[in-house]
Amino acid sequence: MPLTRQQIAMLMQLVAETTSDELDCSGCLDHLAEFAETHLAGQPLSDALEEVRTHLKNCHCCEHEFQSFLEALKGMSDDSQ
Amino acid sequence: MSATHEDNGWVDRLRDPTLQPQALEQLRDLLLRGLRRAFLSKASDDAFVEDVTQDALVRILDRLDQFEGRSRFSTWAMSVAVRLATSELRRKRTRDISLDGITDGNALRIEFADESTEQPSASAERNSLLSKLQELIDERLTDRQRWAIQALLNGVPIEEIARRTDSNPNAVYKLVHDARTRLKQGFEQAGYTADDLVGLSQ
Ligand SMILES: [Zn+2]
Repeated sequence: MPLTRQQIAMLMQLVAETTSDELDCSGCLDHLAEFAETHLAGQPLSDALEEVRTHLKNCHCCEHEFQSFLEALKGMSDDSQ
Repeated sequence: MSATHEDNGWVDRLRDPTLQPQALEQLRDLLLRGLRRAFLSKASDDAFVEDVTQDALVRILDRLDQFEGRSRFSTWAMSVAVRLATSELRRKRTRDISLDGITDGNALRIEFADESTEQPSASAERNSLLSKLQELIDERLTDRQRWAIQALLNGVPIEEIARRTDSNPNAVYKLVHDARTRLKQGFEQAGYTADDLVGLSQ
């Protein structure tokens, strides 16, 4: 099966956003708690957290997990008030 | 519950045999609330959430040493639980996606058909970008790289690709990252910018 138009666009997006010093998935997920708190507080990102942001942009799996994580944090704080 | 209050002594309480049962109970409640909100609507039932919570508590106790205080304890604990839940859901969902159809010979093929509806000039630019892409894919990527990228584009998560190739997610990520780097360098050598790649491929 040839690539669909959408798959080609996804691949090009991935290629375009490639940088040389990216975190891998484990490195990204290990920093997710710190990243989420900083993100939710609207604070500036450190260099290490900036790498997490880049990884999330490039990795659908981790970005998807991050969105679930944000939901879970909302659930946790909603009910505890 | 304020952040500072909430963080009061989680680690100490979880390590203290007399305080641990109550601390675990509280942590369990927190994780259940979070996981229910994040996962109950996503084709998982409460039994799934309760199982994951139980597994997460075990893992959190196991890894207390790894909590470095870079976030609140509850946030860190939730990240452990969400990681487990996500992995488990992916395993369930992708069990049935077949990768058999992707073989070395037919991974990452591009067809240049059905561009007739576009303006001729836009279509020509796009076609030349896509020919370059196919050339780079054929000449610079290994079979394993082509296969892994095709699987990713088919929606198979990295974890699942790793599982099916007896590898680990980091190794697959590196394999794919290396492939992306090769493609990007190839495009740069041919004079394309990152903006060209995104703009022309839409
Ligand atoms: Zn990732």
